[in-house]
Amino acid sequence: MLAVGDSTRLEIIYSTGRSKSRRSKSPQIETNEGPPKHRLRIFAHGVERPDSTYPIVVSPYKLDLSQFTEKLVEKKKFEITNMSDQKLELKLVDLASRYLEVKLPKSIKPGKTAEGEIKIREYYLDESFEKSFTIELNDEKSTRFTVPVKRTVRNLQAKGTSEAGGK
Amino acid sequence: MRVIRGIFAIVTTVILLTGGVQAAPRMTISDSLFDFGYVPQNAKVAHVFWLHSTGDDTLKIIKVNPG
Repeated sequence: MLAVGDSTRLEIIYSTGRSKSRRSKSPQIETNEGPPKHRLRIFAHGVERPDSTYPIVVSPYKLDLSQFTEKLVEKKKFEITNMSDQKLELKLVDLASRYLEVKLPKSIKPGKTAEGEIKIREYYLDESFEKSFTIELNDEKSTRFTVPVKRTVRNLQAKGTSEAGGK
Repeated sequence: MRVIRGIFAIVTTVILLTGGVQAAPRMTISDSLFDFGYVPQNAKVAHVFWLHSTGDDTLKIIKVNPG
């Protein structure tokens, strides 16, 4: 229920599966306004070989910030290589900003590699999640790349307590 | 004649204030389209859409169909 003037967020999670073409999905929202239903539209182009994309290659193309030991995993660096012959400017167009902070290079010269960094916000360090961020380039097609971000946290403290209790 | 006009004006006003202007829920979506662009296979990606209640009655979201 949303009071007059209020807003809410609706997170849509899209699983690419083995798709290797541009596909769209149209989730529908039914409200007490009556018909017609509201329609959202998402597009995604599944890539079979993400290590050889054009005009940029993001490496690693999936970011895993999982934590299985007591050593804190809160940030990770990644590389973006400009495979084209023109200078590319990068813009962060979408990010799960409640969970993550992302630093991107502003631009990358042709053939060069630049570094980016992702950091989990402190409040969400104890959570497991799957989010993503989307980069848009200033090439003719305004090409976009979305990088999946995954974090799994093993509850070491609980495990330790259980083992101690069993002895 | 004046009396008839007066009655007509009153009736019109009453209709507008009651039956004519009924409170109704309304939802608006800031941006209902999102393009992820290129995404690696076998991955999960996420996007948040913002839904706003812009009518003059409470909005109920009954169901979301993944499509």
